[in-house]
Amino acid sequence: MIRIPRKPGAAVDGPLYVILVAIIILMTILNPGRFATMSNIESMLYQLPVLAFLSIGMMVTMLSGGINLAIVSTANFTGIVTALMLKLMTDGDSASASATITIIAMAVGFAGCLLVGAFMGYLVAYLEVPAILATLGVMMLLDGINVVLTGGYTLSDFPDSLMAIGNDSVFGLPIPFVMLVVVIALMSVLLSRMPFGFKLYMLGSNPVSARFSNINAYKVLMGSYILSAAFSGLTGIVMMGQFNSVKANYAQSYVLVTVLACFLGRVDPFGGAGRLSSMVTGVVILQVISSGLNLMRADPFFVTAMWGAIILVLIVFTHFESWFGELRRMAKATAVNSEHGNGGPGKDRPRPID
Amino acid sequence: MSGPVSAHSGSLGGYAVKALLKRNEFYLAVLILVLCMLITAINPAFLSPQNILGFLKTASVNGIMAVGVLFVLILGGTPDLSFTAIAQVVEYVVVLITLAFGGNIVIALLLACLMGAAMGAVNGFVIHYFRVTTIIVSIATANLYYGMLYVLTGGSVIFIVHPMFKRFAEFQLVSFADAAGGTWGISLIPLMWLATLVLGWFILTRTFLGRAIFAMGGNEIAAQRIGINTLWVRVFVFAFVGLLSGVAAIAHTTIVLSAIPNSIVGKELEIIAAVVLGGASLFGGKGTITGTFLGVLLFAILRNGLVLLNISSYWYDVSVGIAITAGISISAWQQLKAQRARVNVNVEEAAAQ
Repeated sequence: MIRIPRKPGAAVDGPLYVILVAIIILMTILNPGRFATMSNIESMLYQLPVLAFLSIGMMVTMLSGGINLAIVSTANFTGIVTALMLKLMTDGDSASASATITIIAMAVGFAGCLLVGAFMGYLVAYLEVPAILATLGVMMLLDGINVVLTGGYTLSDFPDSLMAIGNDSVFGLPIPFVMLVVVIALMSVLLSRMPFGFKLYMLGSNPVSARFSNINAYKVLMGSYILSAAFSGLTGIVMMGQFNSVKANYAQSYVLVTVLACFLGRVDPFGGAGRLSSMVTGVVILQVISSGLNLMRADPFFVTAMWGAIILVLIVFTHFESWFGELRRMAKATAVNSEHGNGGPGKDRPRPID
Repeated sequence: MSGPVSAHSGSLGGYAVKALLKRNEFYLAVLILVLCMLITAINPAFLSPQNILGFLKTASVNGIMAVGVLFVLILGGTPDLSFTAIAQVVEYVVVLITLAFGGNIVIALLLACLMGAAMGAVNGFVIHYFRVTTIIVSIATANLYYGMLYVLTGGSVIFIVHPMFKRFAEFQLVSFADAAGGTWGISLIPLMWLATLVLGWFILTRTFLGRAIFAMGGNEIAAQRIGINTLWVRVFVFAFVGLLSGVAAIAHTTIVLSAIPNSIVGKELEIIAAVVLGGASLFGGKGTITGTFLGVLLFAILRNGLVLLNISSYWYDVSVGIAITAGISISAWQQLKAQRARVNVNVEEAAAQ
């Protein structure tokens, strides 16, 4: 077991919880008698896992300094392969599939998504293609394959056992939500207590020093993309159960929302920094906002515009926060040793952006 | 061992061939030629001037925006994703304004350029002052612009546009009569694309501004140290992207003669892929207008070819996906090979000394 030392200046979750509470209060006021109800909370618990799984999948690649634009396409691919396998094994009557057949079909779909992950990992790790390009190519390829596989139609009518994954509940909690809790627990152990997580953070923060520390970058990158694709696969199966249908272009807009969730959770897009708890809090904040706006019968595109506005506000907020922090440090430094003051807060110092 | 000059390249022609073989554009051009021959062999209608002018016209919208994408990629950093949203908003607003107040095509074009440039410049300012990567800022502005367009207009489709757009689309510089009694000719839309290509080429290779863009893409700190005003170069690039999105919006309106609020958004990744396939580097400082043109052309020919070969358009995405994945893999593999070769030479020299 390895303990990761907290990165100096790493984001602490405090401000995020304040934002979360503020937004919950705001949404309760805006939706009197509708937001803080059991039925709304329950529907939020059903919706949250899909976005959370995808965001964790995105985060895993971002920690190594990459990105996975193909997460939603991989999720749809898994669903479509599973649906086609069901159809194939039951001669077209997929609703009557037995539990064994359903499990086999799901296993095939899952194997498909792992294959996609391995392919992306190969492109990024061995061919050293920039992650954004490699996953963009895979995304377009998969979108095409998805349309060809479904012929552009929606496939539906799945067995009850599959729909139970998306819609049933255990101990009064929705199954997807229980899965999410388990996954978060496992992931937090993997990321902060296991060698893989340690290597992933190291590789993201400084690839050269990671290589000199005898970290096998190929293996770690390969692992992170396969893991990311596995989360897509999980999402695909859950979405299948929830919608009782699969289609080539479900949830396409989620790609950008997951990037937003990572940004909100302060996962560094250049790798090496980002806490799972912050990211999950970010996802919850986004879910609360979208559910609240939905209850207000806001235009779905208003929600889209809101995502944009939130990022811009956050950009300004983070900037001034770090600016004030620098100013405070500077004031402290000059107080300790007044003749060694070194100028204002970095205004004239050139700094690269990307 | 062969050094940097191989035994075959003794003559000047050898050097030229060697230089050509290193260019991404060369392989792209060969690929396009092979594709053209394949399509023509199956359906000779592909090579008819009507067909070629037709797909050039359709490709113009993507082609115009691709020039802007090239500028952003050369400037370095992550790609911009907001240009299609800007084009979408500009298209809708210009169609509304010209319907309400009339006007002519020049005024519409100027209005579109101004609006686009202003929206693009916002990206540049935010990126410079708040030090955030382009992809995050542009996702934000794209969502904001596009969402607001829908919220404010209700997302209704405008089927009737000002008649000047139709006149512009039907204007032919040179026209010929065809066998069926109609006419065909060179319309102004591909010429708009040509004009932006020439403008982009001129700025990138013949002005100090172009040098500054390449310099910032290579090393931003070094660029700042030699006295380049990085703020204004960055704002110029993003305003230019917006301006070209405005031009593309007008071209799109004249082609489809309606304003559908989701007809341009969603193409951004395909356009970026075309530019990258044309040899632009995601790490900045590298890219050519020729490559960009060929990249867009390749996708246009693919789309047109599938139609002519009677293959379902479903396969278009698959073929584009294969083209991108194969293209980037090959160029990454070549780069790796070159890198390893360099390392080998160094080791040998070190051993000899």
